[in-house]
Amino acid sequence: MDIARYAELFRTEAREHLAGIDESLAVLADGGANAGANGSANGSQSDAIDALFRATHTIKGMAGAMGYASVEQLAHAYETLLAAVREAAMPADSTLVTLCYEAADALAQHVDDAVDGNADRPVSSSLLERLASMADSIDSDRVHRTTATWRVPTMHAVNAECGDDEPPDPDGPVPATTIEWVVPHDASRSARRGRVIVVALAPDAPLKSVRAQIVLARLEALGTVQGTEPPLQAVSDLFDGEFTIVLETSADDDVIAAAVQSAGDVARVVVRDPVARRATKDVLRNVRIDLKRLDALLDLVGELVITRDRLIAVAEASGDRTVMATAQETSRLISSLQEQILQARMVPVGQVFDRFPRLVRDVARDLGKQVSFTMEGRDIALDRSMLDAIGDPIVHLLRNAMDHGIESGEQRVAAGKPEAGRLVLRAVRDRAAIVIAVEDDGRGIDRARVLARAIDEGRVDRHVSGLSDDDLIKLLAQPGFSTAESVTAVSGRGVGIDVVANRVRALGGSMDIETVPGRGTVFSLRLPVTLAIVRALLVQVADRTYAVPSAHVMEAVEFDEAARLTLRGREAVSLRDEVLPLVRLRRVFGEPVTDDVDAQLLVVDAGGRRFACKVDALLGQQDIVVKAFDSVVGAEALFSGATILGDGSPALIVDVGSLA
Amino acid sequence: MSRTVLICDDAIFMRTMVGDILQQAGFEIVGEAETGVQAVEKYRQLQPDLVTMDIVMPDMGGIDAVREITKGDPAARILMCSAMGQQALVVEAIQAGAKDFVVKPFQPSRVLEAVQRVLAA
Repeated sequence: MDIARYAELFRTEAREHLAGIDESLAVLADGGANAGANGSANGSQSDAIDALFRATHTIKGMAGAMGYASVEQLAHAYETLLAAVREAAMPADSTLVTLCYEAADALAQHVDDAVDGNADRPVSSSLLERLASMADSIDSDRVHRTTATWRVPTMHAVNAECGDDEPPDPDGPVPATTIEWVVPHDASRSARRGRVIVVALAPDAPLKSVRAQIVLARLEALGTVQGTEPPLQAVSDLFDGEFTIVLETSADDDVIAAAVQSAGDVARVVVRDPVARRATKDVLRNVRIDLKRLDALLDLVGELVITRDRLIAVAEASGDRTVMATAQETSRLISSLQEQILQARMVPVGQVFDRFPRLVRDVARDLGKQVSFTMEGRDIALDRSMLDAIGDPIVHLLRNAMDHGIESGEQRVAAGKPEAGRLVLRAVRDRAAIVIAVEDDGRGIDRARVLARAIDEGRVDRHVSGLSDDDLIKLLAQPGFSTAESVTAVSGRGVGIDVVANRVRALGGSMDIETVPGRGTVFSLRLPVTLAIVRALLVQVADRTYAVPSAHVMEAVEFDEAARLTLRGREAVSLRDEVLPLVRLRRVFGEPVTDDVDAQLLVVDAGGRRFACKVDALLGQQDIVVKAFDSVVGAEALFSGATILGDGSPALIVDVGSLA
Repeated sequence: MSRTVLICDDAIFMRTMVGDILQQAGFEIVGEAETGVQAVEKYRQLQPDLVTMDIVMPDMGGIDAVREITKGDPAARILMCSAMGQQALVVEAIQAGAKDFVVKPFQPSRVLEAVQRVLAA
């Protein structure tokens, strides 16, 4: 590397930081003159210390990269002093401020000298000594005060994790945002300090709660764990593998990071000071990015995910450990990249919801009805592409509810309900899915009328006497099925539920209905958080490979012929204490049905309806990139899309909802 | 000298499979246990470098076996073998002193990674 080329760049940037140092020192000098009475550093002072620390730290790092030893040495000594001041959270007195000014001037001089070719001019040893001795005296002052408090944002205190020599706070629970840290008088432990360790596990790591425990165990070997966020005692499938640990330790940051890494499946670890985050956290920095660019990035990552699977297959076939390890590391990085890009695409549903109040008001006025409309969960985030696709179906359901669900004012009053109908649009996060519900307190769906019409149209056997919610939604979702007695301008011919159902299914989701006559109706759309990449189980049926989205799969068990039974003419299996309808995928896909003994059963859940799918074999689980396609009009939509597998061959993605 | 392993699992199939993976990687299988009680006895007797431990076994389960073994030897290197849906149990095992875990179905590469971590710790 041609260092000289970077020298001017270094000078420019270092000067910016030096100017920042001057500004911060001015704040410090000002506050130092006024402080004293209450003995605590005020906010702007500690902010100034933070800024000073960051500036010197940055200069130190840049100087190190340039090989400017004297700048690095001075910046380091300066930084050490500032760290001590910050840790002690004490007001800056005039001696300190004077010394800081002197160090800043010297630092500026050394920066210029270094760039001009005098990088080896020694730093004044008197200055270095004074910086070090002041840092020492502040440190020892701090340790001899009985307690020091530092704040960690949204950190839960975990008393149970305290060591023997630090009994849990006897004054009851510690406020959730603060951890009282009792600094022991024991001088031998003066080198211990609080470190905040932010860990992200690999997205594909199994049993993340367990892995977090292993990380915790490795850190306990280095010091005393003061707290974790989220609390790691609770085992949760929702745990996304990102957590923060506060550790009191004398170990170096490198050692801490290495210990965390050694626990395995760690994608990222950052060790930092307890307070360093506050200053940066308050400043949210945003860049606007064209959605097309994000789409292009996501496409590329999609291809990368496919290549990753191929790479792993090749690496495993090679039998070479180094190749395998490298492939796995690459795989982990790709997973992180994928996750980051998916995160970047997430937007709150409020962005689409916000246009609905006006729409509801207009529709209600056209219908001459009074509707009180509320929205919940506007902050729930959904992939941008999903959000765009879900707007129309929601509009459909809202119109439907106002047109067919909510009665006229007179009818409502006669039925003893408030004159204004209640309409709620709600978004809720449920595991890896988002549930969007449209709820009204109207007349509900008249099952008898739906059934009569269905029998009329020959859609249902005439001996059927009642409809469950499941049957109802299946009927309503059938193309062209209509129950509206008259055509209205608002929701057309009552056709609509089938359109919504198809759209939702195409998005990899499912739809549910709950209706009580006279009380109201809830339509729930269950959607994956993103369209683009889903985790899927690959199964074999006859000689083809199919992908079943893992979100729907509860478990996989071996098929046991003895557990098969026939209930009301339909095949079922009994599994533990549950009897589930049996769906043979060979039959559904038009393949010859066999009774091979080593078949597998997938227990799937399609929006609350559980059943067992019989497949020939399980081939594994992987992330697949969904390529949507339009289903053939009139044909049964068994598939929600297709994907390309690691070996380059295509596989159809089974639409679990259509099998029920 | 190759590292020694004690394999604890009540299923012969699982013992064979884990044994094959480890043997191919150069480990010496010095013993097998079908129950938690056997696991504890054989650990004392054989002092292996590594133990693989199933969670559900008759006659003292894997977690209690981990507790018993680490009581006598806190440095024991125990690798839990877990099936899907046992997350809470594995957490308990780690708190009891197990060093790492693998999830069924076993991928040889993941098993060996976990073994390396346990031995390096």
